[in-house]
Parts: sequence; C-alpha cells; structure tokens
Amino acid sequence: MTTHEAAEAARLRLRHAEAVGAASVRTRRARSARGYLVLGLATVAILAALFPLVDIIALVTVHGIAAMKLSLFTTVTSGVAGGLQNAILGTLVLVAGGMIIAGPLGVFTGIYLAEWAEPRVAAVLRYLSDVLVGVPSIVIGYFGFAVFVTGLGWGFSLAAGAIALATFMLPYIVRTTELALTKVPGELREGSLALGITRGRTIHSVSLPVAAPGILTGLLLALGIGLGETAPLIYTASWSNYDPHLVPTHSPVGYLTYVVWTFINQPFSASHELAYAAALLLLIGVLVLNLVARQLLVGRQAD
Amino acid sequence: MTLGTKGARWVSVVAAAALLAGTVGAQGAAMAASRKPAGTKVATLLETGSSLLYPLFNIWIPSYNKVHPNVQITPGSTGSGTGISDAEDGTVQIGASDAYLPPTAKSTNGGSMLNVPLGISAQMINFNLPGLNAKHLHLNGPILAGIFSGKIKKWNAPAIAKLNKGVKLPNHAIIPIRRIDGSGDTFLFTQYMTFSAGSAWAPGYGTTVNWPAVGNEISAQGNSGMVTALNSTPYGVAYIGISYENEIVSHKLGIAAIENKAGKFLTPNPSDIQFAAAAMVSKTPSSEALSLIFSPGANSYPIINYEYAILDTKQANATDAKWVKDFLTWCLTTGQSMSYLNQVHFQPLPHFVVNMSKAQLNRLQG
Amino acid sequence: MSGTRSDRLYRVGAGLVAGAVPLVLAAILVFILFDGLPAIRYMGVQFWTSISWNLGNEYGTALTVRNGVQAMQGASFGILPYILGTLLTSVVALVIAVPLGVGTALFLSEWAPARLRTFLSALVELLAGVPSVVYGLWGLAVVVPAVGASVAPWMAAHLGFIPFFAGSPGSGPGLLAAGVVLAIMVLPLIAATTRDAMIQTPQAQREAAYALGLTKWEAVSAVVLRGSRPAIVGASILGLGRALGETMAVLMVCGGAVNLLPGNLYGPVNTLAAVIASQLDSALTDSTQMAVHALAAVALTLFVISLIVNGLARLIVREEARA
Repeated sequence: MTTHEAAEAARLRLRHAEAVGAASVRTRRARSARGYLVLGLATVAILAALFPLVDIIALVTVHGIAAMKLSLFTTVTSGVAGGLQNAILGTLVLVAGGMIIAGPLGVFTGIYLAEWAEPRVAAVLRYLSDVLVGVPSIVIGYFGFAVFVTGLGWGFSLAAGAIALATFMLPYIVRTTELALTKVPGELREGSLALGITRGRTIHSVSLPVAAPGILTGLLLALGIGLGETAPLIYTASWSNYDPHLVPTHSPVGYLTYVVWTFINQPFSASHELAYAAALLLLIGVLVLNLVARQLLVGRQAD
Repeated sequence: MTLGTKGARWVSVVAAAALLAGTVGAQGAAMAASRKPAGTKVATLLETGSSLLYPLFNIWIPSYNKVHPNVQITPGSTGSGTGISDAEDGTVQIGASDAYLPPTAKSTNGGSMLNVPLGISAQMINFNLPGLNAKHLHLNGPILAGIFSGKIKKWNAPAIAKLNKGVKLPNHAIIPIRRIDGSGDTFLFTQYMTFSAGSAWAPGYGTTVNWPAVGNEISAQGNSGMVTALNSTPYGVAYIGISYENEIVSHKLGIAAIENKAGKFLTPNPSDIQFAAAAMVSKTPSSEALSLIFSPGANSYPIINYEYAILDTKQANATDAKWVKDFLTWCLTTGQSMSYLNQVHFQPLPHFVVNMSKAQLNRLQG
Repeated sequence: MSGTRSDRLYRVGAGLVAGAVPLVLAAILVFILFDGLPAIRYMGVQFWTSISWNLGNEYGTALTVRNGVQAMQGASFGILPYILGTLLTSVVALVIAVPLGVGTALFLSEWAPARLRTFLSALVELLAGVPSVVYGLWGLAVVVPAVGASVAPWMAAHLGFIPFFAGSPGSGPGLLAAGVVLAIMVLPLIAATTRDAMIQTPQAQREAAYALGLTKWEAVSAVVLRGSRPAIVGASILGLGRALGETMAVLMVCGGAVNLLPGNLYGPVNTLAAVIASQLDSALTDSTQMAVHALAAVALTLFVISLIVNGLARLIVREEARA
C-alpha cells in the first residue's frame, strides 16, 4: 500500500467517523473509547496467548522438579519406571547423528544457493526445500521405516533414526545458511574478488566468517527441532531400555520424547514422574539452545 | 554486566558448550561404570507384544538376570498383533500374545511359527460409574455387544437394569473404550462376545476388528492406556487385562461380574479362573493353540486365556536360539512360582501343559 | 588459471551436495506413491470417500481379491473420517489462533513499549520451540479435563442453537481439545509473522493518518491492519499447513475415533497424521501387507494436501507482495 493510498484510506475513515456524528468533543471521546476497547481486546489476546505458555512451563517445571533425582541420570528405564539415562544418551546420540549428516549437507547446500546457483536453479531448489519443510514428520518417519528399517533390513537402529532426523533438519539448515549468506554486504564480496581472490576463497575467508553467527544460529535451531521430534523416530529408532550400543544397525535407541509420549499414558505415578522429568529436560535443552542462538544473533546485530 | 555484547556472546556459547560437555561426560562415565567387564559375552534379545503379558516380563527379566547377568532382554508393550508380526518377520526373537497364531500363510508355513503358553491369564470388564464402582455390576455378552455396537446407549437401559435390580444406574450415556492397536485383549473380548452373544456381535473376533461406529467411543493404546482412559472418563466401560487389576483397584474403578456359560455372574478371582482352566486345558492340542473363552462349568470365569510366546523355530543364530530357549524354560519352571504370578494375578500352567511347551521349545534352532 | 578451476570444482561439488534436497524429496514422494498404489487399486475412489477402516479378519480363512490385489477377508480402507478430522481440527485451530495471533501482534507492534516487546516476543518465540509431545502432555493434563468437565458441557448447554455445537458434550478427548492444542502450537507462527509485517508498516503512513485527525484505533485499522492483511492471510495458511501435519500432540488428545464422521465439536476424531502413527503397528499384523499399503496411501494423501496448502500460501503471499 502506498503512502497515497494510505492517506486516501485514512481520509475516508475520518469522513466516515465525522458523518456518524458532529465533529464534537463527544464524538472524539467515543472514537477514543473505541480505541481503548481495541487495546483491551489486544491485551486480552496476548494474555490468552501467553497463558498456555506460562501454564505449560509451570506444569512441566513443577512436576518435573518434583520428579528430579540424581538416579534419573544414572539408571536406565526398566519397564515403566527407573531412570532416564538411556533416553538422555539416546537423544544426544540421535541428534548428534542427525546433525553430522544434515549439518554439512545443509550448510553446503545453503552456500550453493547463495553463492553459486543461477537464479532459476536457485528458485527451484528453494521451492523444493520449502516443500521438504512442509512434509509432515510422520511421513518422514514412515519413509524411514519402509526404506531403512524394513527395506534395507537395518531393523530399528541408530542409523535409521539419525537419517530420519537429518531429513527433517536439512531444509531448516539450508534456509538459515542461505539467509545468513545473503545478508553479507555485497561490497565485502566484491572487494575480495577485486583483489583477485578466487570465488571459493572469498566464500571461505570473507562471506562465511561474516555469516557464521547466522549459520550457527540456524544449526542450533535445527538442533532444537531435532531434540523435540518424536514422529520420525517412533518407527526408525523405536525404543530401548538400555544405553545406546553405538552400532549403526540392528539396535534400537531410546529417546526422551518417547518417554513423554508413552509414559504419561501409563496408570503408574512413577511413570508420570518420568514423563514430566523428561519433558523438563527437553524444555531446558530447547531453552538453552534458544538463548545461545539469540545471543549469537543479538551480538552480531550489535557489531 | 560489564562484559559487553561480544563478551556476553562468548560467555553464553562457552557456557552452553560446557553444559553439553559436562552432561555427555557424566553420562559417558555412568555408562562406562555400568558396562560389563571385558570378556563377558552379551546376548541381546528383544521381546515385544502383549501389554497383558508385559508386566510379567518386567518381573521375570530382572530375576532371570540375577542368574544370567550376561543376557540383555528388552521387553516391549506394543500389543499382541505386533508381537505376532514382529516375531514372524524376525524383528524380535520373542513375540508375546494373548491370542494364538492366526491361520495365515506364515503361521502355517511348514509350521515354522510356534505359540508357546507361558501362563494362564484373564480379562476384566471394568467401568467407571461415580458412586457405583464398589459394586460388581452384572454384565453379559449380549449387553456388551449392544454397548459396543451403539445399540445400548445409556447406563440405565432396560437390559442392564434387568440384570442389576436394586442398583440405581445413572441416566447417562455409556462411553465405550476400546483398543486402537492390534490387541490380544481385543481378541479375547470380541471372542467372548462372539461366543456368548452370537449374531448380536456382527464383527466377529480378532486382534483388530471392524468396530461399529459409536458416537462417544474413545480409543486407547495398550492396557495401560485403557486404564488411564477409563480413569479419566466417568461413565466409561473398558476391557482390561488382569495384570492391571492392582491399578484398577488403586484408582477405585469398578470390576464387573460377567455371565458365564452356565448363567452365573462371576468376577475374575483366582479360583474361578482355575475352574475355567481346568474345564478346558485337557483339550490342548500339540500346537497348543486353544481358546479358553466361555468355558463350561458353574464356577468358570468366562474370559481366560493362555499367554503365548510367539517364536520362529528358525532363529537368526545359535546364540539367540540357545538363550531364548533358556529364558523361556526358566519362565516355565522357576517363573511359574506364585511369588511372580501373584503380582499379575496369573495362574500357573498345569504340568502337562508345561511339558508340551517345553517340547515345542526343543524345536528352536539357530 | 587455477583459480577458476578450483572455483569450478567448488561449484560442481556444492551443486552435487545441493542435489541432496531434491533427491530426498523425490525419494519420499516416489516411495510413498508406489507403496500406496496397491491400496488405492484395491479401494478405487472409495479410498477417499468411504468411512469404513477395517483391516479385515486375519482369523478368517479367505482372502478378498479386488482389482488384482489381495487383502484380508472383509478388509476396507476408507479415510474420509481422517481427512475430515484433519481439516476440522485445523479449522478449529485457526479460528482460535488467528484472532489471538493478530491481537497479540497488534499489541506487540502498536502498544507495547520497546523493552516489553522484545521480552514478550522472545517468550512467544520460545513457545514455537516447545516439543510437540510436551504440548500433548499439557493437552492431556490440562486441556482434556477442562474441556470434558467444564468447557464442552457449558458450550453444549448454552451454544446448542449453533448446529455443530449441540449434542453430547463428549468426555474430553476430541475435536475441540485437539483444536485448542493445535491453536496454541500455530499461534507463535501467526503472531510472529504478523508482528513483523505490522512493524514494517512505514511510519510515514501512520503519521499521515494521525495528521488527518484519526484516533489511534482508526489509524491502526486504516493503515496497519489493512497493510498487513496479506501477511495475516499468508501466516494463517502457513499455520494451517503446520496444523495439518502435526502428529504427536493431536494423537494424544483426539480420542482416536474410527469408522465414524465427527458428529459435533466435542466428539472423538482422528487425523491423517495421527492415524499413521497409531496404526502402523497394527497394520504390520496384516499378512497381506495391504494395511501397510493403505497407510502409505494415507501418507500420500497428507503429503498432497500439505503441498496444496503450502503452495496456496506462497501464491497468496506473492500476489499480495506484487500489489
């Protein structure tokens, strides 16, 4: 909308307001009152939006802290009670595995999109990446199950779970890397090229360092996403009551989100405790990742 | 903070890295401490399936591990249907099921699949009626079929009131709760309705059936999900395996007295389960696939069953075959002690059935 | 010159790596397409129009053969209830989330002082990072009991004159509970996107409105709301896309209905994503594997629906940006 159109719209609005009543103080007060009404509604809206967030955090924190004990970190889950050691380690291993696959793939794809690709190729690639973001997580999980667990015969395994997670994280990393690189000022790039430095060296010595905080932020956010995913893992990593064996195939791996999903449905209070404790750990993990990512971004903007 | 933005940034990155490193380090240390000393061979067996049998495996396995600490057995509660299919395609070594093998290609495939009874269990019909949960409401196959077909809609329906004279039944819609996963409990429940209600229950029996559309009906995953759902759903009715009786009692939910073949209304107590078993077990064939539902006898509780381990005679390797056989033999001998079975309200197998099971186990090869 | 050769190598190398995205996407699409075809052959168009989802009787002895594919006796795979459930839960979610999100964005961009805005925005973005199972946990612990015990009975009693709002208030898990949980999940997306668009309204336009003597509300509605309408629409459709594919949180609170269409706002439902997650185990018990093919076809349907919705969002955003 141009300024001209905005002024037109505003003028029409004023005319309408004046036509409703005489342009008197009373009308002005009524119009102001309407403004306060809207402010009130907007305040109600944001309170209604924030209430669930606060409620979720309160619910998980209160029950989670009540369930916290040192043995959670040193015992494995046995049946529907016990500890979370296997789930914590499993989550770390699965997310690390996913990042090892998706990180380099995603960053280099982002570099390609931002630095090398022709506009039309880049547009297609960007579109496909967005489509991949839109693929529901359960579809990726089913795909992982059918191709890796049964198709290739790996069984429930670390490799299948890591690949499913990587598929989920990849498009986010591509997007954020490309975004970070496009924000690098053109003059820096051009200056480097003018000095005779090759395109490749320019990317690595000039663009990447400047874009690094943004890329790192993207990686951290992808980590956070991987941390919280369940659907891609249910039918690829399945569940294990034991610590991850660190073999890529034929050995299922447990993870924290599974505990939250399954144990809350058990009729045992010990299981509920584990579910809340796992939820608390997940929230803390996401919070830490979020804060660090913000710090990186804020720090960069201040430079 | 006098650090400035760049300093703050580095502090937070280092802090997060330290946190991560610390967590991983501590976990790794704990893991290393709990690892077996070098030189001990670890056999890893996977069990999955019946949520009815699952609590018993959770009791058996730690005891077995005291004698054989080098065998790692992971139990799973995924429903009998999955127990059967996972055992059939080799995803797990031991499948658990409340239902015997279906007569499909794989199960009769040169007889390579076995169903081996490990114990006798039963199923409860539970309800959640405010103020009435202490009473053992009288229900039977035709009424349950009507409820789960949507024909009997309210708790104070004439059919139910007739069986429960003197009980003030509420004028409220019934909320049926069923299993969403492929379930041996569904098999037992639907078989009871098929045998006792005949044409009133059209879908027949199986681990999954074509549930008639009932507006209020909610579904739950696993026996534990059923207990949770029933607990949070007043006016609900559910079918739950007897290994969850303690949870039903502790949540003060109701246990129905259901009608047996002789017309008597019984709750699942040990003696009535044993009566029912005694009337049927002599008919056990060598394949040990036998339904114990709706057995004759005045004091026979109508919904009882063999709890089966579903096994492939062709195991992946000799180690697996050896330890599967060793573990299950332990379950059939030491594991039959009432100190284990009482915790899940199971009954022990008669001796001759134990021998038949052991004979089937001898067919395992690696 | 070695420079251009190394550059060419880099370009080719990066290009190959970038091929991973289209490759993976193609693999997923091709796979679920071929895996789902047998079920679609078996059911024909009825796959999408039939209400009955039934694996068939594996304890029966006959096999049904239709259109050249085998399934168990009496098997039928109709997913209309799941399609409806998916669409309805998403609509309920949007009906709640869009007003709340736009109101939140309005508050943040027009009235909140700078420091409060940064803090609250950070809070709202944190909401976006909460794992979906934790939303499901909250849904089970808070939303389902509240809906079952208070909200649904109240609505059924007082709002019963509206067609879909009448009837049995259900027991908690169902369409309304799932819609509420989904609404909270897509709210941060809508609020953040709308807030960004609103903040970007040129100050000059706002000042022009004030100069004409408009009150704050009239200026806001004339300039800011109207100017960010494309963003609101785009954000809503993106939120719709997110809600369509959500699995875990919905699975935990939807009630898992099967073989029936949602009768009112409060009854149990099921969605395409939740059905795949909850039925895969049972589907594997089907020795003809037809149930597994049916689930792949469900995945295909879900994929196509989200493709259409996301495509629509991009189209609308592009159209409005051009205007």
